[in-house]
Amino acid sequence: MSEPANDVCLGVRGLTKRIGGFYPLRDLDMDVAHGHIHAVIGPNGSGKTTFFNLLSGVLAADSGQITFEGRAIDDQRPSKRTLKGIARTFQNIRLFRHMTVLENVMIGQHCRSYGSIWKALRNAAFHPPFGEVREEREMRAHALELLEFLGLADKRRAKASDLPYGDQRKLELARALATQPRLLLLDEPAAGMNPHETEELDDIITRIRERGVTIVLVEHDMNLVMNISDRVTVLNFGTKIAEGLPNEIQGDPTVIEAYLGQDVSL
Amino acid sequence: MLDHLFDGYTRSILIFTGINIIAAYSFYLPFKTGQVSLGQAGFLAVGAYAAGIMTQKFGLPFPVALLIGGLVTGIVGVGVGFPALRIRGIYLLLLTLAFAEIVQGVIMTWEYTGGAEGFQGVPYNAYTLDYIYGLLVALIIFFARLERSSLGRAMDSIHEDETAAEVMGVDVVGVKLLAFGLGAFIAGLAGALFAHHTTYVDSVTFNILVGVNILMFVVVGGSSTYWGPVLGAAFLTLLPEFLRMLREWLELLPVSWVDLVPMNRVYDFVHEFLDFENEKRLIVYGIILIVMMILRPDGILTRDNLRRFRFVGRKVGHV
Repeated sequence: MSEPANDVCLGVRGLTKRIGGFYPLRDLDMDVAHGHIHAVIGPNGSGKTTFFNLLSGVLAADSGQITFEGRAIDDQRPSKRTLKGIARTFQNIRLFRHMTVLENVMIGQHCRSYGSIWKALRNAAFHPPFGEVREEREMRAHALELLEFLGLADKRRAKASDLPYGDQRKLELARALATQPRLLLLDEPAAGMNPHETEELDDIITRIRERGVTIVLVEHDMNLVMNISDRVTVLNFGTKIAEGLPNEIQGDPTVIEAYLGQDVSL
Repeated sequence: MLDHLFDGYTRSILIFTGINIIAAYSFYLPFKTGQVSLGQAGFLAVGAYAAGIMTQKFGLPFPVALLIGGLVTGIVGVGVGFPALRIRGIYLLLLTLAFAEIVQGVIMTWEYTGGAEGFQGVPYNAYTLDYIYGLLVALIIFFARLERSSLGRAMDSIHEDETAAEVMGVDVVGVKLLAFGLGAFIAGLAGALFAHHTTYVDSVTFNILVGVNILMFVVVGGSSTYWGPVLGAAFLTLLPEFLRMLREWLELLPVSWVDLVPMNRVYDFVHEFLDFENEKRLIVYGIILIVMMILRPDGILTRDNLRRFRFVGRKVGHV
């Protein structure tokens, strides 16, 4: 177990999740460098989503450490981790379905605009009856910028559940970006997208990285992974079986075997 | 002030309608964060007894006692809110129900406030009507602003998907506790106002059925908008009065009509089931609730209904 180096954004050491005698994730070590797009791939049930749930704090790990920018975050609640700068999307879209597109994004901003619930309560209870609080105005403007960035600005008044599938995925992305993350965890962002939408997503993810956001990407779409990743980690049955540059992984026989169970080139 | 504008009957109806609306709001606030409480009657009782003790035993002026009643209840609410954080749905219903039972038990056995004989001689407050409707206006303004605020949105997001809200950085624990505590605070105020109007309260005053009624106010009126509790509480409180008027009206019908259709049977039915004093009106309540659940599970008013009435291009509020 080596200590994470200085340029490491996310450091994972010996991360384990156990359910009875079954290990969805076992003894995982992984470093994600600042500014990288780091893909995590693996067959279904290999522990990718469990890994994300442990990183975001939705699930508690049984052992192991997670450090973010050099500090341990293991005992922090998900909302605290988000405040620290980790955001995520969900594989099975979890938007606030009854809210509008803009409102969904503004939920992501809430934790940045209102540090304490007392400030939020004060602003809710005592702001002047006409006109808006400054925070609200700023949130709205910033939310619109994000929606423009993702090409959803003209749908801002639509109910989230009324959006087409691809747009819902993008809205998940917008909502996560609204929390102003320095590390973004994307759980199969291209699932259910058509090739055109995937290409668009490819472009969006690259542009997010250009903003200085480190990205960990769980994905099935190999084209997307190979196109944009700086580094790839391969999981199988909850353990890491390979890690390296995309082209190294592409030719790795263990990976090919894990994925396809036979000798086929990816 | 308002007191002199109405006769005793109207005044009494207005007071109970107002208290019921306030009680409905006490349910609505935690419900906005997805917490369903059947124990609001327990909070009403805490407020009633705390404020009653302050005025009757310590001789404090009513406004001070009202505030203390609310605050004590709010603190108790936060206390109940902590275990409520961990559980949901039917288990939370049971927990809040158990809380109301505990309060009832304490009331029954606490000799200091009369025990099972009830808390007698709570000082009468002549300005109950002013207090109630003043508080109601303040509450409506508060909820109107809450709905357009970031905190209100955060509450809605917790109601929709607690995990997603937490992951998006919403302080779910803080917001839920705040909502539960503030809801209890509001219930405490309602209880204090009630006790100083009737001057007598006991454990039966705040029985489990009261908690069920409060839930019904919000469910029937509409739980997705702050006008829902007002409408539901007013509708269900005034319903027996309407039914009573209907009965009186039926009595005025010409006899020939009664011969034409078996109107006396209709009258008997109405008399039997819809009478204000008759516990059988619960049957009507139940039927209304079942029909509502089938036809309009979100209540009479929904947020989408209200949005339709908004002006196009409106700047404030939801975009």
